[in-house]
Amino acid sequence: MLNDLPYERILQESLKGELRVVNAGLPQNRKSLSDLLGEEYPHVICSDGDTHLFKRKELEYIASLINIDEQAALLLPMLIELGANKVEAAIICQTNIEEKVISKILNMPTKPEQGKITIYKPQLALLRKMLKTTTQYVFTQKIL
Amino acid sequence: MPQLIRVRPTKIELVKLKRRLALAQRVQKIVKDRLSILTMEFLQTARETVEAKRKLVDAFSEAYKALSIATGYHGYIALEKELIASETDLRITAGSRNIAGVRIPSFELGEIRSPMRGYSLVDTSSWLDHAAQLSEKCLKTTIELAELQRSLELLGMEINRTKRITNALEYMIIPALQVTIKYLNMKFEERDREEKARLKRVKVLLARE
Repeated sequence: MLNDLPYERILQESLKGELRVVNAGLPQNRKSLSDLLGEEYPHVICSDGDTHLFKRKELEYIASLINIDEQAALLLPMLIELGANKVEAAIICQTNIEEKVISKILNMPTKPEQGKITIYKPQLALLRKMLKTTTQYVFTQKIL
Repeated sequence: MPQLIRVRPTKIELVKLKRRLALAQRVQKIVKDRLSILTMEFLQTARETVEAKRKLVDAFSEAYKALSIATGYHGYIALEKELIASETDLRITAGSRNIAGVRIPSFELGEIRSPMRGYSLVDTSSWLDHAAQLSEKCLKTTIELAELQRSLELLGMEINRTKRITNALEYMIIPALQVTIKYLNMKFEERDREEKARLKRVKVLLARE
């Protein structure tokens, strides 16, 4: 039978591992849309060293929504921040190009507050349906 | 009824347990968030899979119809002769993407660069062109369905695993920690009361002397 203390330690380690996994898909560096369109295989490297491949169709769809200057400034993947047990999600936007893209896709006006656009779960589902590879989830709660 | 964790009844152990409880509660919040996101993605993928399957069945049925007409028009032997030379290399880009910690495959069919399909345009009719066009559509839908089907399986497995973790945290780990903390607190309070009673007793004995 396992002694309580080693068992507890194993448990703690597995929980910590669980949390490491959650944000493993975050990109090390984001790339601009124009750069990605110029690549043969548009991709970014994730924090766990894995490759995140973008679908060309999605990139072309976003490119059709904005002009060439904005394409050079828009960094992908767009990050969707999820807080602990919150109903809403927030899209991190450093420029107003993200706002333009999101409002066009969701077909509603959006207003960034403190660099974030707040959307709700149904809108999030719609956004993820349209932009599967060009958006990425971020779990922001401080853990350890 | 949650089981007590066997620990020495000391203040250090109590502090450790409180830390563990805080960690477990934070982990629970994140795992619950993750579960809700995975479920949302799973439902979305399931809807898309159903749609893709329907599209695939329609595309294949149309393609077979068109091929049957082309076969009837040209005859088996002539059509086979033309189609032997029509093989082309396909380019499928395979990669992966990450959804809340789950690695999902991603396939994309490259553009078929040559507009010529390999068979003679002089000896064949537009029926065959139509059949070839529909077959290409089948191929696209098959690749799309392959990606969706695998994503669905992976997401389902991860949801199961995450659910087990959530349940373990909710019904086993956190209650066990809470019960043990409560037990230790009661034990320390009891010790304090004993200590006070002993001091009072000593005071009475000293007063008698």
